[in-house]
Amino acid sequence: MGLLTNLRDSISRVTDGLFAADEPKRIGIYGPPNAGKTTLANRIARDWTGDAVGPESHIPHETRRARRKENVEIERNGRTVTIDIVDTPGVTTKVDYKEFLDHDMEKDDAVRRSREATEGVAEAMHWLREDVDGVIYVLDSTTDPFTQVNTMLIGIIESQDLPALILANKTDLPGSDVQQIANAFPQHETIPLSALEGDNMDEVYTKIAEYFG
Amino acid sequence: MPHQCTSCGRTFPDGSKEMLSGCPDCGGNKFQFKPAGATADADSGGAADSGNEAPGSAAGPSGSAADQSDRTPPTPAEGSAPVANDESEPTPDERAADRRPADSADPTPSDAAASPDSATDGTEQIADRSDEDTAQASARSEVVSPDELDRASRDVDPAETPPAEEEPQPGIDALRDELNDQFESIRIVSPGQYELNLMELYDRQEYIISLQEDGRYVIEMPDAWGIGEE
Repeated sequence: MGLLTNLRDSISRVTDGLFAADEPKRIGIYGPPNAGKTTLANRIARDWTGDAVGPESHIPHETRRARRKENVEIERNGRTVTIDIVDTPGVTTKVDYKEFLDHDMEKDDAVRRSREATEGVAEAMHWLREDVDGVIYVLDSTTDPFTQVNTMLIGIIESQDLPALILANKTDLPGSDVQQIANAFPQHETIPLSALEGDNMDEVYTKIAEYFG
Repeated sequence: MPHQCTSCGRTFPDGSKEMLSGCPDCGGNKFQFKPAGATADADSGGAADSGNEAPGSAAGPSGSAADQSDRTPPTPAEGSAPVANDESEPTPDERAADRRPADSADPTPSDAAASPDSATDGTEQIADRSDEDTAQASARSEVVSPDELDRASRDVDPAETPPAEEEPQPGIDALRDELNDQFESIRIVSPGQYELNLMELYDRQEYIISLQEDGRYVIEMPDAWGIGEE
């Protein structure tokens, strides 16, 4: 698993000096449900470790427990940044089993999914308080970013002084509006990408190295 | 005194924040919820029959069931087995019994039936719910649940047997309201429908790791690791 990558990184670490941090920074991937957090986490993990993090789905709240991928070594401009990525459940203020019924789900399953999703949000908020060193905030660029959840989470992240990278995902879709996200959070840099298609991932990795290295 | 530590039996008033950092006496982190109406029953045992369990006292066989129902809650609290105590569920049903002695029984059983499958008290193994089913079932069988007793007493009065299974019953709703007053971080609107107070979830040091539809909950606290669990 990533033997060549490790070897390459080891060499670059030696040649470039003492870049490797003692402990990898733990980077939480946060955002509302269905923004593409798991797709991004899988993209990053596959690109640099060959593994996936978790299943992706169009159905909201597919990720109901935080999943961690440790020691993801990202190489940028001759230096290596090692991070642990934590894919978190989508944060929301309301969870309703009825929205799952549209996805061909039985009521019992929908209610259970709803309860697990709620526990997942509680867990994600707990992680944000105690366990992350930086945040990648993923937004669906086809939807309005001016929501209570986004405002509150970005506010919490700022109050914690956590480094935060805002990603405008789903640029491959017709309704994508990256500028709207940039306008919503002008105090942060907004990076457009399509995690699904892998578009603009180079810039994303550069920024990850810059922000979290 | 709605909350009682299952380890040492210490009780806490409604809305108390004292318990949020663990039981001050023993450090336990498991509590059972006892609404105000249930306390008197628990203390006086069968004495509460005449007041609360009209249908029970009206009929011979179920009179003993109602009696037992009243006595059930104190047993786990006074017992010396704190681990199993989170399986006792006196609160929701007693409360339902208090307010509506023989009405709409079915929602409660359906909730209770769903619980063993999906909403067990698992602290570390929420993901492995299937593994918990047998443990949950056996734990359940050790103490006759007040829910079953409740149903037994209701059967005496067929006139009030509820027709619908999915209708939420006022007793449960009232319980949810009371619980919501204490846990403002997650509001249970109805089974499967939740409203979350993100700031509250973020602000609290402990966090809710298991939700259950009947009003029970498990919270984990940093300084309680290893104390309540065996």
